[in-house]
Amino acid sequence: MEILETLINGLSSGGTYAMIALGYTMVYGIAKMLNFAHGDIIMVGGYTIFVTMGLTGNPILGLLAAVLFCVVLGVVVERVAYKPLRGATPLAVLITAIGVSYLLQSVAQMIFKSSPKMVMIADLGNVEFLGLYIPMYVIVTLICSVIIMVVLSLFVRFTRTGRAMVAVSEDRGAAQLMGISVNRIITVTFAIGSALAAFAGFFMLMKSPSLTNTMGAMPGIKAFTAAVIGGIGSIPGAMVGGIVLGLIEACSYKITVIAPYTDAIEFLILILLLLVRPTGILGKKRREKV
Amino acid sequence: MTEKLKRLKWKNFLNCVVVAAFTLVFGVLSLTGSLNGSSIILIERIAISILLAVSLSVVVGFLGELSLGHAGFMCIGAYLGGKAAALLDPVLGTGVLSLLISLLVGGVCAAVCGLIIGLPALRLRGDYLAIVTLAFGEIVRSLFMNSSDESFGGALGLETPRFDKQSLFIYAFLLVLLCLVVIQNLLRSKHGRAITAIRDNEIAARATGINVTYYKLLVFSVSAFFAGLAGVLYSFSNFTVQSGKFGYNYSIEILVMVVLGGMGSINGSMISAALITFLDVNLQTLLTGDMAVLKNFLYALILIGLVLYNNAPALKGFREKYRLRAVMERIRERKPDPSKERDDEAKWDRVPTKIDMDEVLSVSPLKSQGDETSEPGEEERP
Amino acid sequence: MKKFLRAAALLLAAVLVCASFAACGSAGHTANNTEYVIGLSGPLTGGAAVYGVAVQNSAQMAVDEINAAGGLNGVRFKVIAKDDTHDAAKVAANYSSLMEEGMQVSLGTVTTAPGLEFSNLSKEDNLFFLTPSASGNDIPKNDNGFQMCFADGNQGAVAAGYVNSTGLKNIGIFYKSDDPYSKGIYEQFMENLDSSIETVEAVFTDANTSDFSAQISTLKDCTFIFMPIYYTPASLFMTQAKSIVSPTATYYGCDGFDGIESAEGFDITAIPQEVTMLSHFNSKATDGAAAEFVKKYTEKYGADTLNQFGASAYDCVYAIYNAMKEIAEGGKEIPVTISPSELCDLLKGKFTGGFTYSGVTGSEIKWEANGYVSKEAVKYVIKEAD
Repeated sequence: MEILETLINGLSSGGTYAMIALGYTMVYGIAKMLNFAHGDIIMVGGYTIFVTMGLTGNPILGLLAAVLFCVVLGVVVERVAYKPLRGATPLAVLITAIGVSYLLQSVAQMIFKSSPKMVMIADLGNVEFLGLYIPMYVIVTLICSVIIMVVLSLFVRFTRTGRAMVAVSEDRGAAQLMGISVNRIITVTFAIGSALAAFAGFFMLMKSPSLTNTMGAMPGIKAFTAAVIGGIGSIPGAMVGGIVLGLIEACSYKITVIAPYTDAIEFLILILLLLVRPTGILGKKRREKV
Repeated sequence: MTEKLKRLKWKNFLNCVVVAAFTLVFGVLSLTGSLNGSSIILIERIAISILLAVSLSVVVGFLGELSLGHAGFMCIGAYLGGKAAALLDPVLGTGVLSLLISLLVGGVCAAVCGLIIGLPALRLRGDYLAIVTLAFGEIVRSLFMNSSDESFGGALGLETPRFDKQSLFIYAFLLVLLCLVVIQNLLRSKHGRAITAIRDNEIAARATGINVTYYKLLVFSVSAFFAGLAGVLYSFSNFTVQSGKFGYNYSIEILVMVVLGGMGSINGSMISAALITFLDVNLQTLLTGDMAVLKNFLYALILIGLVLYNNAPALKGFREKYRLRAVMERIRERKPDPSKERDDEAKWDRVPTKIDMDEVLSVSPLKSQGDETSEPGEEERP
Repeated sequence: MKKFLRAAALLLAAVLVCASFAACGSAGHTANNTEYVIGLSGPLTGGAAVYGVAVQNSAQMAVDEINAAGGLNGVRFKVIAKDDTHDAAKVAANYSSLMEEGMQVSLGTVTTAPGLEFSNLSKEDNLFFLTPSASGNDIPKNDNGFQMCFADGNQGAVAAGYVNSTGLKNIGIFYKSDDPYSKGIYEQFMENLDSSIETVEAVFTDANTSDFSAQISTLKDCTFIFMPIYYTPASLFMTQAKSIVSPTATYYGCDGFDGIESAEGFDITAIPQEVTMLSHFNSKATDGAAAEFVKKYTEKYGADTLNQFGASAYDCVYAIYNAMKEIAEGGKEIPVTISPSELCDLLKGKFTGGFTYSGVTGSEIKWEANGYVSKEAVKYVIKEAD
């Protein structure tokens, strides 16, 4: 029973990680950059939900507003901070992304102060199952993340834009020659990634109502771990990686001796994985070329 | 005699001379008791920041790898050096000998960790390496945070003996001098040329016979060594070392110093380290309330603004036209005399950050092929 | 020649900068004092700001009252508070500038983590400090340091004594493994707990301060959960656990629970479980010194930052004032320019020599020679079970 419960907990936080990891993986695959500010988009989504719910009290409206605002923000950030650096060194892009992350955090703190805000999205109660009490939000998170991933996979598979995205990630130059507007595809990618971040923010708040300006930083970095575990650039990989990371975390918290070291363990896994198999579980093997 | 002086190129050591002069003047001031406590703390902090910024600058500005775990190396130095000092305290007291031994312990331990972190650097580049160094910093912090009370004090922090505060900063500046001499000599030698070659194009560097493995490990361990020294100094200037200080945010603060100073400029890093630390200590009492966040806001703007300005391909023409030097030349209405422009040896610390070909030729196991234009007849390596 | 000139200019600049540093000497900062200066360092910003602000406000309120009543033989008091954002690395700079502004006696730090650094620094200058809320066991380790709050070990032991007396067979413990306060209480609690009582432990760290599902699932069968943590994570835990943990369960916290009922966005009435805490201050008191303090504080600063940290700081200022008054009445003159060290020796003798104080956080408060406070703890039910 204990094990089953841990599994469900792990799956639930894994679902959230997967959603964040999807944003990382898509941006990395297509724009070839590590969007350090991705975690902070979650935080912005959280504050948008907070503000909207303060005005209307409706969580669904809050989610919609968050998705909308995050999409706009993601696109604006891409245009202002990342686009001018296309073609510059990866180091420059990375440092700018760190700067954007810092900027979002400090602006949020200026507006909302540093004390945590509480957002009660909805009290959904528990479901009794085989003598276990499973909070409803766990089930909602799981179902929603599965739906989102299926929709996303179908989108990438069957729509023109989705296929163009695959093409750009495979070979930017060739895609451009085929008449695909690379800039537009990158913008769309950022928009989708930010929307996913807004969803992730919603689910994180559903689980724990505390909202601070750094709420996205750690989950963001951990989700990057998830993306790497699954193989960066791969959409199913991000899902698998998220779930694996969620399970590892839940198990680690269960064992009292190693519980304080949970973060260290997750990061250690990341380092070892990058050393041994940088392409992750589902990542494609790529040949190094000169 | 003049011939010899000319050959010495003492301009290259100007920063050392300035640091030495500072040390001398402050030393005299301190011995005469005319320095107050907060000035001494500020000077100590500045010395520590300079050590950190210069050592990070070697990795970021010259090797071209991003390290987000520099505070982690400092943390190792602070804890292990501080522990050594605490153990030596009953035997030797807290004197110069104990300081030297602790510096050695902290520095060497940090250097070993730098070596270990350098290993992933052999396989990984760019984003991945940045994440690995970040993960390393967090692991180090977490380990010290959860250590037992007897070993490293756990969450309460390690209690370390404090060095005489009237003289610690003199040793701190001597270490800055040591750091400058070692690093500048390293960079100015053929090794430095090899390091910048790896930055500009790793494959090409490898092809010309540069031992990339050796240089990457060398740079990472030298950089970690001096960060470790900074950590030991920190532990000697405080009674407690708490791992909370050495988080991701502190690593970013060091990175801001390097970026603000100009990538690949040792002098720039020094100046911006001193400036940021000065502002930091003074703003601490000025910016209270939620205004304190303005500091982070400023850091963010500096990072984004400077990197965009310096790297955006679209701004290239603008940059060339309005570079400080170009403007100066125009004011003097004089064209630079080509015969006086020496080879890049004279401007060893002002090499352009990266050549444009890099994007075309860069090779990374994690980059998709789409990023690289492969030409027929080129070799494919597994 | 040009190079030489440039170098000379640099050197000149260096000398000028040095000269600007050497603004004043290091000795005799109190020589120009016209008021007695009380210094303190606390988190006026950041996550723990509510404590620092409460201490700053309350100390100011106490000083205002004392000054309005004529000060000590006509000499007024002044409080200077510096922000350390709960970061030990900032204490040294704060301490130096406080000393340069003429600090003669101190309230130390508000929180434990920066407190050790302060304790060591003040030892060098022999500065007397009476901290309202830095509860670490080692804070008063030097003879110049005293506490107004219970030390962590003391709280842990008192809490363990209570649990032993309830006859519970098994209990849950929820603490923050990277926080000195939380871990300090936890360790003393475990030491004093009956070995027959089974414990289930769950920990959390800074990185996951918001999602407690794993910890809740560990603790869900416990009917008594000891939580030596601050109220923000505690309120999160309770919110997330309200329908999972048995509604008849009891949460038992230490002084960190103080103010939980006014935590932003937290509705304590929605929690079905019982919430209790161990404290020396009852913010719901209807009579006595505590009630009067609550009334005065809320009138002046509102109820947002009303908590036992403030009450304790208010007592600290009055305790120092009373002690100085008694010393002065005993025929020993305390000049306004007295050095920290001289004042420290006088106050040390007073505090360890049978001085008692009655105020907001207890009556007949005494201090032991090691700096620990000795007063009665109140077990205080914040919210009864539904």
